[in-house]
Amino acid sequence: MTDALRYDGKVALITGAGNGLGRSHALLLASRGARVVVNDLGGSATGGGKSSAAADNVVAEIKAAGGEAVANYDSVEDGGKIVQCALDSFGRIDIVVNNAGILRDSSFQKMSAEDWDLIMRVHVQGAFKVTHAAWPRLREQSYGRVIFTSSAAGIYGNFGQANYSAAKLGLVGLGFTLAAEGRKYNIRVNTIAPVAGSRMTETILPKELIDALRPEYVSPLVAWLAHENCEETGGLFEVGGGFFAKLRWERTEGQLFRVGRNITPELVEKVWPTIVDFGKSTHPADVTQALQPVLDNVNAGASKGGNQFIDVDQALGYEFPPIKTRYDERDLSLYALGVGAAADPQDDNELRYVYEMHGKGFTALPTYAVIPALTGVMNAFRDGQNAPGLNYGLDRLLHGEQYTELRRPLPPKATLSHRTWVKDIFDKGKNAFVVMAIETTDETGEVLAYNELGAVIRGAGGWGGERGPASDVNTPPDRAPDFSREEKIGPNQALLYRLSGDWNPLHVDAGFASAFGFPKPILHGLCTFGYAARHALNALGVDPKQFKSIKVRFADSVFPGETLHTEIWRESETRAIIRCKVVERDKVVLSNAAIEFYKEVPNTAPKAKATSTASSAASAKAEPTSGDIFAAIGQFLQKHPELAAKANTVFQFKLSAPSSVWTIDCKANSVGQGETATPECILELSDADFMLMCTGKADPQQLFTGGKLKIGGNVMASMKLGFLKKLDPELVMAAMRGRIGVAAAAEVVPPAAEAGPTSADVFVAIRDYIEKNPELAPKLQTVFGFQLRSPDSAYTIDLKTGAGAVLEGIAGTPDCTLELSDADFMAMTSGRADPQQLFTGGKLKIGGNVMASMKLGFLKKLDMKAAQAAIAANRAKGRTGSAAAPEAAPAKTAQAPAIADKLAARLGGVKQDQAVTLQLRIKDPASAWVLNLGPQGGSISAGEAGQPDATITLADADLLALAQGKAAAQSLFQRGQLRVDGDARLAHHLSLLEGAL
Amino acid sequence: MNHKVHVIGVGMVKFAKPGASDDYHVMAANAARTALEDAGVEYGDIDQVFAGYVYGDSTCGQRAVYELGLTGVPIVNVNNNCSTGSTALFAGRQAVLSGEAECVLVVGFEQMEKGALASKFNDRPTPLDPQAGVMNDVQGITQAPPAAQMFGGAGREYRWKHGTRRETFAKISEKARKHAANNPYALFRELLSVEQILASPEVFDPLTRYQCCPPTCGAAAAVICTPAFAKKRGLQDGVYIAAQAMRTDYASTFEERSMIKMVGYDMAKHCAEAVYKQAGLGPKDVQVVELHDCFTANELLTYEALGLCPEGEAEKFIWDGDNTYGGKWVTNPSGGLLSKGHPLGATGLAQCTELVWQLRGQAEKRQVEGARVALQHNLGLGGACVITMYRRD
Repeated sequence: MTDALRYDGKVALITGAGNGLGRSHALLLASRGARVVVNDLGGSATGGGKSSAAADNVVAEIKAAGGEAVANYDSVEDGGKIVQCALDSFGRIDIVVNNAGILRDSSFQKMSAEDWDLIMRVHVQGAFKVTHAAWPRLREQSYGRVIFTSSAAGIYGNFGQANYSAAKLGLVGLGFTLAAEGRKYNIRVNTIAPVAGSRMTETILPKELIDALRPEYVSPLVAWLAHENCEETGGLFEVGGGFFAKLRWERTEGQLFRVGRNITPELVEKVWPTIVDFGKSTHPADVTQALQPVLDNVNAGASKGGNQFIDVDQALGYEFPPIKTRYDERDLSLYALGVGAAADPQDDNELRYVYEMHGKGFTALPTYAVIPALTGVMNAFRDGQNAPGLNYGLDRLLHGEQYTELRRPLPPKATLSHRTWVKDIFDKGKNAFVVMAIETTDETGEVLAYNELGAVIRGAGGWGGERGPASDVNTPPDRAPDFSREEKIGPNQALLYRLSGDWNPLHVDAGFASAFGFPKPILHGLCTFGYAARHALNALGVDPKQFKSIKVRFADSVFPGETLHTEIWRESETRAIIRCKVVERDKVVLSNAAIEFYKEVPNTAPKAKATSTASSAASAKAEPTSGDIFAAIGQFLQKHPELAAKANTVFQFKLSAPSSVWTIDCKANSVGQGETATPECILELSDADFMLMCTGKADPQQLFTGGKLKIGGNVMASMKLGFLKKLDPELVMAAMRGRIGVAAAAEVVPPAAEAGPTSADVFVAIRDYIEKNPELAPKLQTVFGFQLRSPDSAYTIDLKTGAGAVLEGIAGTPDCTLELSDADFMAMTSGRADPQQLFTGGKLKIGGNVMASMKLGFLKKLDMKAAQAAIAANRAKGRTGSAAAPEAAPAKTAQAPAIADKLAARLGGVKQDQAVTLQLRIKDPASAWVLNLGPQGGSISAGEAGQPDATITLADADLLALAQGKAAAQSLFQRGQLRVDGDARLAHHLSLLEGAL
Repeated sequence: MNHKVHVIGVGMVKFAKPGASDDYHVMAANAARTALEDAGVEYGDIDQVFAGYVYGDSTCGQRAVYELGLTGVPIVNVNNNCSTGSTALFAGRQAVLSGEAECVLVVGFEQMEKGALASKFNDRPTPLDPQAGVMNDVQGITQAPPAAQMFGGAGREYRWKHGTRRETFAKISEKARKHAANNPYALFRELLSVEQILASPEVFDPLTRYQCCPPTCGAAAAVICTPAFAKKRGLQDGVYIAAQAMRTDYASTFEERSMIKMVGYDMAKHCAEAVYKQAGLGPKDVQVVELHDCFTANELLTYEALGLCPEGEAEKFIWDGDNTYGGKWVTNPSGGLLSKGHPLGATGLAQCTELVWQLRGQAEKRQVEGARVALQHNLGLGGACVITMYRRD
């Protein structure tokens, strides 16, 4: 048992150690070298009586086995006395095991105040008193291990144990807080919930189970938690009967309402399923983590309000899953017919909307752009997918306004992607007004169309929210219209129109229509919209390919068969105001409407469309880049100008590996490469970390504290970058697809690996250097681990064992681990990068003994030319230039006996006037030697000296280094590897060892 | 030419742990106000102000002294690591000697953070790079607080040469606590035994926790003037600075690969020699010493640098009690940096304050009988050493 966990030199205090668990803990710790205070009041399991026998018996048992222990009979309520006993007996205290306990079980109804108080006093007060008395000592010595004993009854509750379970869970909380308070003093505090057959459980568990639950199954966990190697703290463990497990809190993702929201019991009832849903959960480990949702909620700003129909906070900005549609000439023709086009089949002007072989070229009626977008929304609604927070049905929804914009003419056929999000929610008093935005891109990733669908939600307003912009836009001027068109709508027009996608029975089913208060089915508002656009296009004589946008308000219903009268006022070359009336009823049905045109037909050929097929192979493997993310951020901010306005800061990102510079200018709401505006807040990080941050895989805060993210300028402004978390991965992918479409031609297969040196070659060079400089290892005495990334590899430079070695992989336990990219490693070893700068720049992470990395200066001395020659030679021989394969870690064999033998042989002749006795304490592996020097000659023997003049402590390996002449005693002393108790000059005698091996 | 510069007023605030003090400008203004009252002069009488501090943004000195008045007086901010306070005094004394100023206020203050000293500017090389390089060569670098590694390493080197026991180092802390027990301005006034000191957690062998000065917040101030000004105010019989010198590092700091040299032994030695020469007095003429005991190891080394004992004999010097009441000198009657605390910018002026009180006979229970000549030693790594000799005729 060379790796046995020992407790030599440690003092453990165990309460309630006369029997059961406590006795078992005490015996185990004492058997492994701890000096133990065996505390037991000697009472019964229910707290009655008092006797010294129990503790005495355990102490006797320990002593009989060769251990050290002392009995203490104080009550845990006198914790100070027990701790004092430890100090008086052994001079220190290291381990406190709060184990003492009693039971006073009874049903809650019958429980007396005395039963309650007694349990609280022994378990809670007792643990407090004992631990509190020991605490100052543990802090002062910066070492302590504290264990509390809880119970399943406390964690889960148990019938008849109200007092006991309250007390036991109280200890869990005590343990959590002491773990936090003790952390920086190296005091580790844990709590166990043991199941064991003991006197206390005899009353509640059957005999057979008790036999299976021997205390010996619990004590090993206690012993491990009490050992100095165990860094666990703040843990809670269930243990017993062979079962060992750790517990933690689990919390549902829960329900958040923005601050300021009027929260009613009804609202809580409504969201109850979310509150209790563990489908998504977290495991907060401390108060900071526990508070995180609240802090995030506060940071998210005040509630925008809502009611049972609409939760603005949830719904606003929500983006629906993207959808794809496709159309061709047939769909365009059917739509055109649906809005009355080509009613005169001889009208060449309109025939082009419905005849794919038209001589002047088939032309899409531009208002078709609303159809695929709306179809998506309608289908989602039909499938019951509404945005979270929009809790109303179609029955309340009236299409109130429509805005449709084209960026270039609709192609005759296309496959489209639509992104739909909730753009605005306004409280119009009685009603609410919800605006959905739909952005449509074609196969190239270029935006083709943009729609805003404004819906009046009847009776859903009134939460006191924003009213939104004034509505009296696009009012006709005070003059006769410049043009007008009149057209009778066919009686079956709605039946034709619905085939383009709006299946609402209101437009076809008389029964349904009457249920909504209409005498007969009404025409689709968007059908009227199509008529109006057609009329304007015809009247103004504009090329439909110049169509830019149309905006209308649906003022009233139209019945199929009525006559539509469209008035048009030309406002400018590119803009006209429109109004539609129903002639029969002289009612305005479309108001506040305008149509806009481009001055010339926009470029119909989006960039690089032709290469899309060629790029398909490349795109399969493509990964999004930071450029894609910035493109997505740009789009995102265009869509959410309010977020840009809120941030109101110019951010600059300086990315490294590969390096690039980007500007997010929230003031001008523009995102671009390079320094496009004077930055106010500068963020420096690696490209890879940036990608992780924007994809939610890395937390900016953690990157910052971890040194991977450097923030310059107005540091606080960086907090405004929270919106990056809201970035939709699909936006990034779309940007990537767009880029690949454009850049595929430029993408080439990476060139075959160059013949330049690789990191593996550098490690070969290091190996050569170490071989040529054998003094390096004894001087540096450090094991370095290197973790290189992209491509990943790992190496160990062992400058501790012998003359040093370079191994592939991480061998043993490095003193110091360096993580950096392969490229940076190459730069560092070729002198192109300074380790210090890499470190402060966050490109080099150093773990373990950070200062040890300062010893890597020798890397600068590497002769890379010679190394390259060697590498070339190696390659010629067909060897891959890699370092030695890892050897099996050599078992540690004690060198001291061999050295002592050699020394003994030469000491006989070493005579000196002064008689000196030196105690040598060798560590790792341990041995003890007495070195005598004097007029009669010297001697060395194993063992302990009675009254040494000085005690010298050093590691076996260092003793070997001394004997081999690889280390000087003074240097070891100065480095703290050789300690002298007493006159340090006596350690000069260690020069006798030099050359002994 | 008369080189006398009179110290006509001193004052300090009670030193406190980080987080338990007033803000720097309040502490500094209070110390300065006390010194002005002590001198019996108005702030309007002050011709120049020298304000010393290490940690703080620029012009903290103005922020502090503006509490006293806005007279447009020249204010110079001084920063010289742990010797900042006496460097401010050095500069103030020169202003008086030059004839440019008649009466000068010198104030030093520091509002420190918890924990060991650490570098504040991590985007550039630390000025202690060369020292760290020596240390790395000689003993490597560990996770211990850097200053403790440096001075502790000097202690190791001394032990290796002279065999000094750990108890000897602890003995210095025991003495410091004894002295501080009588100083109401000190941070740590509880007595500690050698055993307790040795049993405190090891910081860097041979240094244990109780052998390292604590981070401290505090302020101290002095009003100094020409003999003519002192006479005008009827203060001509008071304490004056008889000699003063500053030295920075010599090549030996870096070339000898010696930790003792690296922490400024030669700088102190040469500085002391210059002061003795200037004053025409030697160590034997001195009765009371305030010296820079940031760590016990440095007090031990400083005995030898100041010539209080021959090289290698500090252990005997300590066990003979020649550093305390009843011995040849009383070193650090105030409790020193170890017990009174070490607010970097304030330390040099707190030493000055203590010695002025000693020479005036105002040190109450700490009074060193017959104190007529006092010596002050203030050292900063990086480095600078200022030694000042005070007298009262």
